[in-house]
Order: sequence, then C-alpha cells, then structure tokens
Amino acid sequence: MTQQPIGATPKKEGTALKVRKKPRRTIFLQMRKNYSSYLFLMPKLLLFILFVAIPVVWAFVLSFQEYKVFGSEFVGIDNYIKVFESEAFRIALKNTLLFTVVTVPFSVISALVIASMIFVLGKLSQSFFRSAFYLPTVTSMVIIAMVWRWMYNYEFGLFNYVLGWFGIEPLNWLGQSSSALWALIIMQCLIPFGVGIIMYLASMGSISESLYEAARIDGASTFKQWLYITVPLLKPTTLYLVLLSTIGSFQVFTQIIMMTGGGPGSATETLVHLIYKTGFRDFEFGFAAAQSVVLFVIILIFSIIQFRVLRHDE
Amino acid sequence: MLSIASLGLAASVLAACSDDTKEVGTADEFKGKITVWDGPRWPDKDENKFHWLEAKIKEYEDAHEGVEIELVQVPWAEMGDKLGVAIAGKSWPDIAPVDISGSAVSIDHIEQGVVEPLDDYFDKEAKADFYENALDAYTYDGKMYGIPNSITLHSMLLNLDLFAEAGVTPPEGGEWTYEEFLDAAKKLTFDRDGDGKIDVYGFSTYIMPGYYEAWPFFYKNGGSPLNEDMTEFTFDTPEVVQAIQDLADLKLKEKVAPETHGGNDVGGTFQAWANEEQRTVAMQPWATWAIGAAQGKYPTNFAVANYPTGESEKPTTIGGVGGWVMFHQGEDANKKAAVADFMKFISTTEEQYHMAQNYGIFPARVSAAEMDPFKDNPEMTRAMEMSDQVVMLPRHPEWRKIDEAIQTQLQLVFNGEKSAEDAMADAKKAVDELLK
Repeated sequence: MTQQPIGATPKKEGTALKVRKKPRRTIFLQMRKNYSSYLFLMPKLLLFILFVAIPVVWAFVLSFQEYKVFGSEFVGIDNYIKVFESEAFRIALKNTLLFTVVTVPFSVISALVIASMIFVLGKLSQSFFRSAFYLPTVTSMVIIAMVWRWMYNYEFGLFNYVLGWFGIEPLNWLGQSSSALWALIIMQCLIPFGVGIIMYLASMGSISESLYEAARIDGASTFKQWLYITVPLLKPTTLYLVLLSTIGSFQVFTQIIMMTGGGPGSATETLVHLIYKTGFRDFEFGFAAAQSVVLFVIILIFSIIQFRVLRHDE
Repeated sequence: MLSIASLGLAASVLAACSDDTKEVGTADEFKGKITVWDGPRWPDKDENKFHWLEAKIKEYEDAHEGVEIELVQVPWAEMGDKLGVAIAGKSWPDIAPVDISGSAVSIDHIEQGVVEPLDDYFDKEAKADFYENALDAYTYDGKMYGIPNSITLHSMLLNLDLFAEAGVTPPEGGEWTYEEFLDAAKKLTFDRDGDGKIDVYGFSTYIMPGYYEAWPFFYKNGGSPLNEDMTEFTFDTPEVVQAIQDLADLKLKEKVAPETHGGNDVGGTFQAWANEEQRTVAMQPWATWAIGAAQGKYPTNFAVANYPTGESEKPTTIGGVGGWVMFHQGEDANKKAAVADFMKFISTTEEQYHMAQNYGIFPARVSAAEMDPFKDNPEMTRAMEMSDQVVMLPRHPEWRKIDEAIQTQLQLVFNGEKSAEDAMADAKKAVDELLK
C-alpha cells in the first residue's frame, strides 16, 4: 500500500494529487503564541550564546589560524596536521583513554550498586546516605585533590601508612611513571559518583512494584530481581550517566594540574591539560583550538557509539 | 631624593630629547586611569601585603590631580595565567611586575608589540644606574622593555642545628667542592631514634618546569643547555650528564636524599627543610625569598653557602631579574608618558632599597645596593656576594618548551627510570626540533 502524505486527500484515478495546505504557522507566529516561554528562556539562552556558542564557534575559527595579538594569520589545516603529528598529543590521548576506560565503568557500576543498597533502606537512612554520597560532588575538586595529594604522600600519607601494616615498602605513588596515572585513576574511582547515585535512586523509585511482585511469585531471588528487572529498566539512566561521566573523564584537568602537573615525564599528561599548556603557557591559541576541536570530535564519536550501544529499545 | 614632580618633568624632557619626529607625550598633561597589577609583598601590622604600592599610589595621585591609579591584586601563583589570558584578550593592564623571558610575557610578545619599549624615558645616564645583567634581562634587540626592580639568585641553605646534631662543620666561608658536599650529606643522613629508619637526610630538591633550584648543580663541571648562538642543545655533553647523574644518585645510589628528591612538590620540599615540626632535610637550594621565610615565618638557624664546585672549580648559580613592564598603550602619548612616570616613581633608588630591606630581594640599581640594605642581615649579605657567580638562562623565544622538554626528562632520571645519558639524548631530540 502506498503511503500518503499526512493531510493529503485520497488520490482519484486520472487526477493529480492535491495536497491540502496546512494553515501557515510561521516560526514567528509560534513564537508569538508561546512568547512567555521564550521570555523565560531568554536569560539562559543569551548566556548560552554569549559564553558557550560564540566561544565554541570562535575556537573552531581560531583552529585555522596562527593566533597573533595584533592580527592572526589564516593557516588552513596546518594546526590539525600538527595535532596529528604531535607525540605529546598521542601520549595525552593514550593516557586520557586509559583514564576514561577504567574510571567510567567503575563509577557508573559503583553508583548503581550503592544506589541499590541505599534504596532498600528506611527514609531517614536513605536521606543520610544520599547526602553523604553527594557531598564530594559539591566539594571543589581542588580541595579533594589536595587531600588526596596528602594521602599519597610518600613519607606520611595514609596509603603508605596502611601498606606499612602489611609490611609492604612505601610507594612513591605520584613520583613514578608506573604508578602516577593509576594513582589518579584510583582516586577518581574512589570518589563517589554522587550525581549517578541520586539519579539511579530517582529512577528506581519510578519502577512499578508490580514487576517485583510478579517476579517474587515466580520465585525470583532478590539478586535476580535486581539483575533482570532493576538493571534493564535503568538503562536510559545508565546511558545518560555513561555519557555524562565519559565527557567528564575526557576533560580531566584539575587533578592533573593540582597533583602531578602531567609528570613525571609525560606519565599523567591528559588532553585538556595539554590544551591548557598549549594555550596559556605557549600562547599557541590556534594550535590549542585545533586540539580542542579534535577532542570534541573524539568525545562526539564516543558519545554516538555509547548512545547506539546503550540506547533504550522502544 | 627625587620629587614626584621632578620625575614627571624628567620623563617628559627625556622623552622630548630622544626623538624629534615621534610624539612621546607629557606625563603631567595626562588625566585618566592607569591600571597596575601587583602580587602580595611584605605585610604591614594589619597583614596587608599590598600596603607599599597602595601608599605609593596615594602619594602619586595626590601629586597628580585627575590621575587615578587602580591596583589589581593578583596572587603571584596566578600572575602568569591571568596575564596570559589578559594578553590573549587584549585586556592587559598598563603596568605589571613580570619577567619578559618568563611564563607570562615572552620575547614573542615583544616582537608582536604587546610590551612597550621604554627607551624614550631613560637616557644613557639613567640606565647606567642599573646592574648590567639586570638591564640585559629587560633588553631585547637593543631596546629596553622594562624597569629592572630586583635581582634574585639561588643559594644553598644549611640547617645549622642539624649540622651541629650530626657533628658536621659547615663549609668555611660557604665554599666547598662537590666531594666535600657529598661527604657532609652522608654524615647528615642519620637515624635519630635508632628505629632503623632514616629520620634526617642530607639533601633534597625538586624538579619542575620553570624552576631552577637544582640547575646550578648541572653546571658544576661546565656546560650550558644551549650553545652560544642557541642553535643546538648542549646539555648532553659528558660533563653535564655526569653532573645530572651525580645529583640523582644522591637518592638512587648514595641514599643521602629522600625518595621525594627530584619530585614536583615545591611546598612539601620547603616544609621538610624549614618547618619546625619536620626539619627532615639538612641542606636545600632555594631562591632568595626562602632566606626571608627562614628569618620570618619559619625561624630557622641557618647559613647560606655556594653551590658546590665540580670540575670547572667555579661556583655557579642561576639568577633571575624582576621588574615592571609597560603594556601596549595605543595612541595616547600623554598616557604612555604618565605610565612611564609612575613606573619610575616606584623604581627609584629609595624604593628599591626599601624593598630590598623588607622583601628579601637584591636591588637592581647600583645606587640602592651601595646603600647597603643588608648591613644587619648576614645571610642576605652572603647571598648577595654570590651575584658574580650568576649565569642567566638562555633567552630563546621557545624557552618554555625547551625547558619542559629538559625538565620532564630530568624527572625520569631522578625517579630512576632513565639514566642521565639516555634522558638527555631524548631531550636533545625534542629540543633540537624546537631550535630548527
């Protein structure tokens, strides 16, 4: 059967198809009709244009220039060629990928497990743990990094103190190439993913109790109920959290600048730290902009892949 | 003492004499606002670390009706980043305290016209009062791009209490060879409480891009990072490689330095030497600010010594010069003259003498040094005697990248992942690429 356009009259034999014109509803009219909504949106929209959209477009334009204070020069794709030839960029990309690949699954899975454990508690206990796990989210990463730097201190840090209980020699956690990046990964994994826990808790509350009742009648254990009902129904939340934490991990910066400066050598150099150095230490803003655009594309590709793999099947 | 008005007049007259064809303006005719950035200096009784410049600004404003000077207080740690962003956005201040070869303002910026030359406001006689190396640090392509304000250098600081505890005699006159230094470091490494763990180490320092406390050790046998015409990396010569390995071996082989030796913890390293509750390291190299800290906030019984000598038999240290820079001023010649006038007003002999006494830096003016600002401060006097040992770092437009290429390799030597020879061979590849 041939599909007909919406609003079209049935085609008669020997006559041309007549499409009934929809009432002219221009964007302007629609905006006029919903003007109050647009007014409410306006402040945020203006801020978004000013502080996000324009800088993003400007960064893209800048990536084709050699930035000079008085009159930049157009250099075509030279900055992009430099990015792909850069050994420093390759190392930073490798480190960032390792950081992301380990921390994202760990953060999301641990958030799911913690949220599941909190969800079964009473209201008061739930509120307490909700606040406790969300606290690191509202604490500055600078403060967290300083505390962790102390915990990794060779002479009087907590980690080496604990190792000492087991007779293990202290480790120079942040001072050795072999351990520095892993120390940062461990830190990231052990900081509770507060947003994830809160979102999982909210989503769990919306799962119908009747599903669990049916499973219980069928003899499903608590673990099986969690595995076959809770986890699948939280898939949209999981997708959102994976995307959110992947983007965050690709942009890891504060820990690096506060704890290692990218060293020793290039052991903890990451993409955003490299972009920062290129822009604000070397003043190569065009090159830094090209690195940013490449990072944007990498995150976009990862996001699309994750979206396709994890999207909620209708 | 020069009066404020005479400084203004002098600026205008000098300007008028310097170039007939170019309008250089008159400071006294300017009415408007001048913006100055500065970092915290020494505190007054209310712990205000900006009181010196605030008082100078008030004095200048009172003498120049219609001139308003805005002081923007910027922590020193953020000065480089903030200036970098300000330069990128063309929103720089009129005056800021920066080193033109430093992290915020580079030779590249001078070439782009971000920094104003000051030759119109300084004749030969006025320039003659500055130490030659201080003036050189602010001179590029024959032009003067800032007023030198202070000279700093690095020296060895020895904790005399720990020397006494270990029964070690400090080097006579602060002069010693590397062998004598190593011998002292071995004796100063000891287990105080007999629990089998070392409580005090002889020496430690740190390695980080932009910091040069360890570098005079690398010069002990001669050598420098780049050749004279700055076309080739030369920190890979056998004598430099040996010097680097020697310093790393203080931890790796001699065990007279803690595991953190060669790390990147600046604050932690200083605390280990200066903090009364720690004092776990007997000798560390620091810039002159640390002398002030050890005499003030962290009272320590200490002595200042040269860096130990090696095959070259010449003590060496790395120096730095600080000063005031004028940023691009546009077409207003009167404002430019007024900005220069204020810069001179805060850089007089008296001000440099005052700052040397209170802020623990050496004056860049010969006349200020001749006033003997450290006559009651034997440690600063000793450090000042090291001025003739100073070598300056190469002034290459790509120095920040060159420095990083070298220092990141040095970090790997100090944590035992590479030999000095391999590390410098790898640094050479990166640096020679930058020098092309």
